[in-house]
Amino acid sequence: MSDTLVAVVFYGLAIFTLSGAALVAFSRNIVHSAFALFATFVGVAGLYALMSANLLAVIQLLVYAGGILVLILFAVMLTSRIDEARVSNHAWGRQPAAWAVGGLTAILIYVAVKAPLKAPMIKGALGGPAAFGDALLGPYVLPFEIISMLLLAALIGAVTLARGRDAAEAAKLAKPAEAAAPVQAAEPAQAAEPAEAAEPAEEVNA
Amino acid sequence: MIIGLNHFQVVSALLFGLGLLTIITRRNAVAVLMGVELVLNAGLVNLVAISRYQTGGLDGQIFALFGVVLAAAEAVVALAIVLQLFRARRSVDTIDVTDMRG
Amino acid sequence: MAGTTESLARFAPELVLSATILAILIVDLIARLQPKRPSLLSGVALVGLSAMAGALWLTPTGDTSLFTHLLAFDGLARYFKGFFILAAALGVLFGHLSDEISRSRLGEYYIQLLCLTLGLSLLASAQNLLMLYLALELVSLPSYVLSGFRWWDRRASEAALKYVVFGGAASGVMLYGFSLIYGITGTLQIDGVAAALTAAATGGQGIAGQLGLLMAVMLSLAGFGYKVAAVPFHMWCPDVYEGAPTTFVAFLSVAPKAAGFAALIRFFVVGFGQPAPGAAGFPWAEILGIIAIGTMTLGNVVAVTQDNVKRLLAYSSIAQAGYLIMALAVGTDEAIRAVMLYLGFYLLMNMGAFFGVQLAGGERLSAFRGMASRNATLAITMAIFLFSLTGIPPFAGFIGKFYLFAAVLSVGEPFFYALAIIGVLNSAISLYYYAKVVRVMFLDKAEEGDGVVEVSRPASALLLALAGPTLLFGVWWAPLADLIDKASSILR
Repeated sequence: MSDTLVAVVFYGLAIFTLSGAALVAFSRNIVHSAFALFATFVGVAGLYALMSANLLAVIQLLVYAGGILVLILFAVMLTSRIDEARVSNHAWGRQPAAWAVGGLTAILIYVAVKAPLKAPMIKGALGGPAAFGDALLGPYVLPFEIISMLLLAALIGAVTLARGRDAAEAAKLAKPAEAAAPVQAAEPAQAAEPAEAAEPAEEVNA
Repeated sequence: MIIGLNHFQVVSALLFGLGLLTIITRRNAVAVLMGVELVLNAGLVNLVAISRYQTGGLDGQIFALFGVVLAAAEAVVALAIVLQLFRARRSVDTIDVTDMRG
Repeated sequence: MAGTTESLARFAPELVLSATILAILIVDLIARLQPKRPSLLSGVALVGLSAMAGALWLTPTGDTSLFTHLLAFDGLARYFKGFFILAAALGVLFGHLSDEISRSRLGEYYIQLLCLTLGLSLLASAQNLLMLYLALELVSLPSYVLSGFRWWDRRASEAALKYVVFGGAASGVMLYGFSLIYGITGTLQIDGVAAALTAAATGGQGIAGQLGLLMAVMLSLAGFGYKVAAVPFHMWCPDVYEGAPTTFVAFLSVAPKAAGFAALIRFFVVGFGQPAPGAAGFPWAEILGIIAIGTMTLGNVVAVTQDNVKRLLAYSSIAQAGYLIMALAVGTDEAIRAVMLYLGFYLLMNMGAFFGVQLAGGERLSAFRGMASRNATLAITMAIFLFSLTGIPPFAGFIGKFYLFAAVLSVGEPFFYALAIIGVLNSAISLYYYAKVVRVMFLDKAEEGDGVVEVSRPASALLLALAGPTLLFGVWWAPLADLIDKASSILR
């Protein structure tokens, strides 16, 4: 590709990506935000491809645009009225927060433009699938194995959280746990244990 | 005009800023999670750009690969928690009804 | 650097732990209908952790780095691995005795707890930014799940949601910080950062380079700060502690915090030279010192107003992190040994205090009313833990704090004198709220409806087993201090 063409493609992708991100940040409708996120993910995949990180571009499309976004859409659709779950006790108002973030971004852009990071462009494609495979089973074999434990933990965790409750827990739900008096808290638990153990597999559909 | 590291880093910085803005200003938990995804993407673009234009080699790309997988795992757990909250609330409502009957 | 075979030999503790996780998964499935399943699962977990301790004991010593420089195998890593094994074993015992974890989910609880432990052990030894990030996520994901474990309680789901949202944001920001470090230094190795920085400093970076470095470190600090609950990344802490099962909070308030400090030590002391680096011309020590002041002051001042003991202990644990960051700012060998020693005592006293809350059966201050007459063992051990957290002699906490402050004062600069004075003032504030709990337990009369608190025999034994060393180390701390003197080598 000629330099001009690269520049045109780059600016196109950058505008696409950033306008998606801006919609995510500013749109009042959360469903619009979710779809704008799709544009950002695709745009980032395009940027990867432009940097000749082809495999990563494909993975970005598959995992981010195909997987994560679907999860997020699920969450949006299922919990349209979850607004009152405040993220944290915000000490900041929106206005100062926006200024602070703007200032931080300005510094980062300044650094990106001025910092002595300018280096000659390395020619040729980097990292085809074969090189990736070599690296993953060579110097990076440990993270490769560790991430399988992490995925196992995430899988079991998600199932733990999402599965139906069993009889003992349904009983707990019937009697809210808050402010249980000390004596009462100790006794039913012990009494409940044998019963639970006898029928652990019994689950009540939520 | 030659597109180099700086260009990608500026895009990444803007992406980061927008993501952070989303995280800070949004009240909806799912929207905040979207902001987190933007921030992660900004970091990953930066990593790939640096390994492409500056250091060479695969380090940055491998990091980005792991980053994508970790983001997916995090999204799974986050969604499970959002669903759990949703179900817990519904369950709490059901209990309210039971209380009124009893 | 060790080759793959040598690396695997030194990686044996983690391999044993991974095998234990899988064994629990299988036993959980096979023994579904066994009435003895809870004991069986706890047994497997404890045997696995003992085997891990054995493997750690038997691995050849001698500092080296493993798996092409991804992990460090040095005194710091070994000390913290032992620390995490002990914390995880206590976590398993607490979970076994807890009525918050439904018996049918005990297996899942242990799997998450041990995956978290695996992450902690990697976090304490990670020598590479990718490994550090991966380990941090391996710690975070199970933490989110375990915080939401008591899902029948609305507060638990909300706690988990806040945790996952805040944790995701912090780790994302940290990833961006890492990407900047990679850009500035051109390496993902923490031990390579120092060399790259020196080279960059002599090369003359200009203001943009300096600013980039500052940004990189501050953004990376977000991730660490959130793990150790330092101001201003502490917001999740009280809510999560309140909503999560008490039995898990005991573990969460100690082990991930310790791992965060281990990673911070490696990041700052190895990556940015020692003591506070002059290479790049940034006052890291002062920045960390200011964070420390904010952290301990906020933690202590807000703790005063709490009447929920779990929240009170949450703010107390924020304050404790402040004291530790204060010593970290000093960054000398002496200070690092003090941090390791204090964390060792903190394991005993903080896990003990949360275990006391778990056994008391209620988390409001009123649940502790007249505890002395309702269960003397619980009241006395709880008082020991709380006074030790305050840092009063003759308890272990006093010795720990003594070493921390000594390390800060030995620098001999005005800033560090001021830091130490603020630290001492903070300890004085903390006496008020710790003593408040003790007063309620010993001086307030039990009211009607406050019956005897039943504590099973194993639980009492466990309380005493934690309180004993808390007292013993207060008068005879030399063995642990010696151990740390020998085992505080850091691979640079």
